[in-house]
Amino acid sequence: MKKYIFKRVLISIFTMLAITLVLFILLQLMPGSPFNDEKLTATQKAALNAKYGLDQPLIVQYAKYVFNMFKGDFGVSYNISKNTPISQLIQSRLPISIAIGGMAVALGAIVGLFLGIVAALKHNTFWDTFCTIISVLGVSVPSYVFALGLSYTFGFKLSWLPMLYTQNSPIASSVMPSIALSLFTLASVARFTRTEMMEVLGSDYMLLAESKGVYGGPLIVRHALRNSLIPIVTVLAPLIVDLMTGSLVVEKIFSIPGVGSLLVTAIQSNDYSVVIALSFIYSAMYIGIMLAVDILYGIIDPRIRLAKEGTN
Amino acid sequence: MKLTKQIGVIVLALVMVIGLIGCGTKGAETSPAADASAAPVATGGTLNVMVEVEVASLDPQIATDGTSFEVIADFTDGLKQMDADGAAVNALCAEETVSDDGLTYTFKIRDDANWSNGDPVTADDFVFGWQRAVDPANASEYSYMMSDIGQIKNAAEIIAGKKPVTDLGVTAVDEKTLKVELNVPVSYFDSLLYFPTYYPINRAFYEGLATGTFGTSPATVLSNGAFILESYEPATLNFTLKKNPNYYDADKVQLDGLNYQVIKDSQQALMSYQNGDLDIVKLSGDQVDQVKDDPELNVVGAGYLWYLTMNGHDVEALGNANMRLAITNAINRETIVTDVVKDGSVATYTAVPPQFAAGPDGSDFSGDQTKFADVCADDTAKAAEYYAKACDELGQNSFTFELLVEDQTETQNVATVLKEQLEAALPGVTLNIKVEPKKQRVEDIQSGKYEVCLTRWGPDYADPMTYLAMWVTGNSNNYGLWSNADYDAIIADCTTGKYVTDLEGRWNAMYDAAKIVMDEAVIAPIYTKADANMIKSNITGIEFHPVALNRVYKNTVKG
Repeated sequence: MKKYIFKRVLISIFTMLAITLVLFILLQLMPGSPFNDEKLTATQKAALNAKYGLDQPLIVQYAKYVFNMFKGDFGVSYNISKNTPISQLIQSRLPISIAIGGMAVALGAIVGLFLGIVAALKHNTFWDTFCTIISVLGVSVPSYVFALGLSYTFGFKLSWLPMLYTQNSPIASSVMPSIALSLFTLASVARFTRTEMMEVLGSDYMLLAESKGVYGGPLIVRHALRNSLIPIVTVLAPLIVDLMTGSLVVEKIFSIPGVGSLLVTAIQSNDYSVVIALSFIYSAMYIGIMLAVDILYGIIDPRIRLAKEGTN
Repeated sequence: MKLTKQIGVIVLALVMVIGLIGCGTKGAETSPAADASAAPVATGGTLNVMVEVEVASLDPQIATDGTSFEVIADFTDGLKQMDADGAAVNALCAEETVSDDGLTYTFKIRDDANWSNGDPVTADDFVFGWQRAVDPANASEYSYMMSDIGQIKNAAEIIAGKKPVTDLGVTAVDEKTLKVELNVPVSYFDSLLYFPTYYPINRAFYEGLATGTFGTSPATVLSNGAFILESYEPATLNFTLKKNPNYYDADKVQLDGLNYQVIKDSQQALMSYQNGDLDIVKLSGDQVDQVKDDPELNVVGAGYLWYLTMNGHDVEALGNANMRLAITNAINRETIVTDVVKDGSVATYTAVPPQFAAGPDGSDFSGDQTKFADVCADDTAKAAEYYAKACDELGQNSFTFELLVEDQTETQNVATVLKEQLEAALPGVTLNIKVEPKKQRVEDIQSGKYEVCLTRWGPDYADPMTYLAMWVTGNSNNYGLWSNADYDAIIADCTTGKYVTDLEGRWNAMYDAAKIVMDEAVIAPIYTKADANMIKSNITGIEFHPVALNRVYKNTVKG
């Protein structure tokens, strides 16, 4: 297992380097440059490019960037917050996105699992239909519609929760965005749980367990749920990264100082180093979560663990 | 039985969804007057202000955008500030003397002007700030305010790296006396002194900070103005300022503080305003329509001129003056401002927009919008005449032009209407709209890769030259690469030549220059942008300006 993880980490490092290189090239191909204001003359643009080292060959820029990155220096922002170190921008914004995304994932996973289990157990009853409707809605209605609805109802009309994110009351400010973001996860998890549970519940080994006298809670949790978890974890993993790296629209609606809106603003204003740094972090989180999922598979289903150790 | 139950559930769920979606759109229809009564009564004297974008920089020599300028000016005074009418009035400057030749300015700095750490504001702080603006190492985007516009001695050479920053024509004669030397007399020099690039920086404080940390938190910036930064971090969406008790003019400042909130979604912004969370909010064009009868609606000129630039250098048909005149007369500007832009923007028929530059007699340079009515009007008949001439001269009667616009909703809507108007008024003309991100659009017109482009220009200082200087041969913003020796001569006379001390002569000469631009239809002006705000009825005294500092709160009262 250790060898496997070590190998995966090593591959990840090279993947990340490849990602930054591709991003570097893609950003050069993007229309415009960071300094394309109608007020800027050619001389000023040249001076700005020189100041930030953008006048050097791409490969030199890349080498310098990677070298600095290993020292924890992601460069400075050109536009969004002029000359501010990116690490500072991310330090203040990423925790907020992770907190809200984390709450959304937790809420979505727990409620989704619950709904899925109920739907499977109460197959073809009112609860099954109810859960199915929630799943269909959650998957098909975009999160910003929920966000606007929540904001209008509980923020504007009822004034129960703040309409905009405030640093002074982060918990109250995170409730509506978390709920809005969680619905897609909730729906996906509920749908997969229901399908998997139904399949497992109808299998022979469940019948065997039941005939051996296992019933009720232990039967559901230990035998049915555990065997349904693999596909659920697989769908959940990318959703976690998605949510934790912030959502543009929901961040915009609630004025949340997260990284989702930062990335989009950075792309629009050609703020190269912000785009690269955020993409880098996004990739790192994705790779990290995927690794965690692989390890989790082994815990959920020992057969997978044995198979992997056999091949490594 | 089961089936009925299931149908019941489905119906119930659908009702819930429709209800939820309904909530989302209903916000747009709510009358603000009805909700205003429910808003909580404002407590304390903190003004809650909405801005659309984050502050890009609190460094006065690095900042370039309106939001950053507004916030910097909240806590920093220059030698001058703007009064309610936009005129330059003394701020940190107690006394100003100008030499007879108009080349040397001497400023006495107020004795009671102090930084928020207790240090007095000195002449050297100005020297330091201004040197930073021209230092090539800082690559300040507004360095030209010191060189081309301000004509400060040696500024251009320093920016070009040919002289050290210490050669800048600005010296601290003693602690409180600042001497500024210019290359030529600059009639509007006083009005540059409220521009943030000209603000002072406490040298000792700045040099005591770790590199790159200036202006990144309340602890790394000093105030000498009406307010003090209380909470802030780079790219924050919410930050506050409090009243500066040691400000020399503190008696006049009535607000306890300012609370800024960045809101990028205009619908949420308006709801927050109706909720009572905001005292002032900026509206989008569509929202203005919703609240147009509300007494709290306040429309102010933003100074930006949107116009068509036509590439007469590379497109033969557009090199023809009659064709350009046909285009400018075929536009129905009134329709565009009333039916498309809808936020109070003003139809404009002059190369220099109205409401920002007042002449020696106090009159608005472009106050009379009919001045060039013979060559620029919403007049399809006249357009047809010019068009017939153009077809004759060019020997063809079918033209296809590409209209380049940026990817904003408003500009795209305007472009669609322009296409309709021009194609209807000028039979044979086809306009193909090309949409690009703003940065790409700017790059394309600056490098001449376009045919017709809808672009804009905002004034940098309160003088018509901020527009007229654009159409000089070789200027990087002369996108049509138009060239006229008479025009160049007039502009040279006004900026560095015979009119620099003759204010009336200069003013008249600038009219002559504007007339040439209009007679040849170098550009087709369309509208001057306005900002539509909602301001709570208990708020008075927010000062709006189209130039430099868009909003000033020093004299604001929250009742």
